[in-house]
Amino acid sequence: MYRLFLALHYLLSRPIHLLGMGGVMLGVWALILVVSIFSGFLREVRAHVQSATSDLTVFRLRWPTTYRGLEQRLAEDANVAATAPRLVWYGLLHPIERPGAAPAPQEDLPTRADARFVSLIGIDPASERPVSGIERWLGDVTEPRLRVAQPADPLPRNAELPGILLSRTRMQRENLVAGARVRLTLARMNAVNGEQQLHFLDREFQVAGAFTTKHVGFDESNAFVPIDTLRAMLAEGEGAVVNEVAVRLVDPADARATVERVRRALLRDHPGVMVMTWEQRNEIYLQAIGHQGSIMKLILFVIMVVATFLVFATLSMMVVEKTRDIGILTAMGATPAGVLQVFLTCGLAVTTVGTVLGILAGCLSAFYLDAFRSWMKAAFGIDLFPTSVYHLERVPYDLDPLWIAQVVGASLVLGLLAAGIPAWRAARHDPLRSLRYE
Amino acid sequence: MTQPVLSAEKVVKGYTLGGETIPVLRGVDFQVHAGEMVALLGASGAGKSTLLHVLGLLDPPDSGRILLAGQPVHDLPIRERAAIRHRQIGFVFQFYHLIPELTALQNVLLGRMMLTRPLAWLRERRAARARAVQLLESVGLGKRLRHRPAQLSGGERQRVAIARALIARPRVILADEPTGNLDSHTAAEVLEILFRIHREEGISFVLVTHNAELAARCHRIVRMKDGLVLG
Repeated sequence: MYRLFLALHYLLSRPIHLLGMGGVMLGVWALILVVSIFSGFLREVRAHVQSATSDLTVFRLRWPTTYRGLEQRLAEDANVAATAPRLVWYGLLHPIERPGAAPAPQEDLPTRADARFVSLIGIDPASERPVSGIERWLGDVTEPRLRVAQPADPLPRNAELPGILLSRTRMQRENLVAGARVRLTLARMNAVNGEQQLHFLDREFQVAGAFTTKHVGFDESNAFVPIDTLRAMLAEGEGAVVNEVAVRLVDPADARATVERVRRALLRDHPGVMVMTWEQRNEIYLQAIGHQGSIMKLILFVIMVVATFLVFATLSMMVVEKTRDIGILTAMGATPAGVLQVFLTCGLAVTTVGTVLGILAGCLSAFYLDAFRSWMKAAFGIDLFPTSVYHLERVPYDLDPLWIAQVVGASLVLGLLAAGIPAWRAARHDPLRSLRYE
Repeated sequence: MTQPVLSAEKVVKGYTLGGETIPVLRGVDFQVHAGEMVALLGASGAGKSTLLHVLGLLDPPDSGRILLAGQPVHDLPIRERAAIRHRQIGFVFQFYHLIPELTALQNVLLGRMMLTRPLAWLRERRAARARAVQLLESVGLGKRLRHRPAQLSGGERQRVAIARALIARPRVILADEPTGNLDSHTAAEVLEILFRIHREEGISFVLVTHNAELAARCHRIVRMKDGLVLG
């Protein structure tokens, strides 16, 4: 009983231990809060990326590959629910007229400073609808000036000019509205007399409206055009050319196995073809975010180590001061192991209380982060976490019990080390030395 | 006389300092019987404190034996020696050695809880507290239970230390110059308390002292010189 009793009184009579406790609390708090926000963020980003990507993508098809044979081959797989042909290209986009702005001169188009790079996806809206989320991407745009007039047929064939769907962010940035005219410049290498030459192709489009996928990176670079128009520009007379096929699966959980099956089925007719799940396709992006998370954990762990040094320092100080007591404790019947336990209990109590407070603080601040954020915004005009950048309604968080358990484990192990060394030194102290000299 | 409560047989003890062994006890024989009060007299460096530490199982002898009620105890495992110190032997030191963070009452109680597990302590706490209060009252500190050592005078601190040595009901108390740090008036008060306890409780005492007058009041005087017991 004396171990607990003494440890408690040693601690309570020394407010400096609050320093170590506070340090541990801060470290645990940061590890829990920041990592839970980060994993919440990662979860949201994954969902956004998934919503912008089809379950499976077939690409690296040799030019010219026509869709018909490919479609049949794909349809043979039991897990394939629907497919959509795509022709993916790149180009430069120049707004021709902006509302309220004077029409731009058209002469030196390719060198115009406001031309923007755009990744073009030629689609057939009817085939695309059951495969990707295009219906939702169009429906999520609420601004009347940006909305597509006919969501059921966003890129009508019979229009005077072919339509183009731009992302909402691009339209807002370029100050474009539905109905505005833009010019697309494409380039393609052609063999002329056995020599490869770069050819520019140029065509006017009318902005049909905006789409938004929540995947910021996707929206930043992509635009949709009718696949027929793109074929007419790039592959006149070469048939229903595609260079990518979007695939929707019956059971997305079985994607990895399906990828292998589909790849093998296509490889004979299409050497070099690649098939990827939405995760594989965005692997680098998702991994990069994951890596940031790991680095953050490492940095925050350093706070924990520093806090442990604090505990170590305050406890070492106490042991030096309390060696005077070791003599009388031994005379009263304490063993070196008992002395060790007194100081170990002190260190573990500091760490445990710090850890528990840190967990409470971490969980509470994750729960109330949104309220805190709104308050900061209202009171000081500071936005701690600009959610609009990531298309988030609130600051996401994911409190993972396993992670909390890991933090607790690490904290206690560090605490044991920080307390163990001074406690061990105390236990090795010769009790007679403290009895002989005052 | 009856069998000694605590005895040393041919105890040799030396300290190594800078590679050289300095003999402190050179074959000491010593006994204290039940209810006996023995004064251990000698000049500084004669080995009085070392003998007390060896008798109290704080320091193992290099050779020779320590017997408690006839049983050799010097070579017992460390835990058992600690348990014997707790249950059978009380210590009073010149410099009191109170824990500064604890009140007088808590310091005394600490002497009672050394071998008690936390759960058992819950049951024994009341009785232990009552005994501690009674002991502090008997040494005249009934009104100073909640004072910390820093708020007590030297004499009061030594009285707390005496109460602490008594709480586990030891058979023998080893006191190392208990009044060495007190003025003569306070020393006399503290000594009166020690003699009264001896009378009332029948505990054996070994009193290390320089004070011949105090020694004269004891049952027996043992003189030490250069690590040996004289005559």
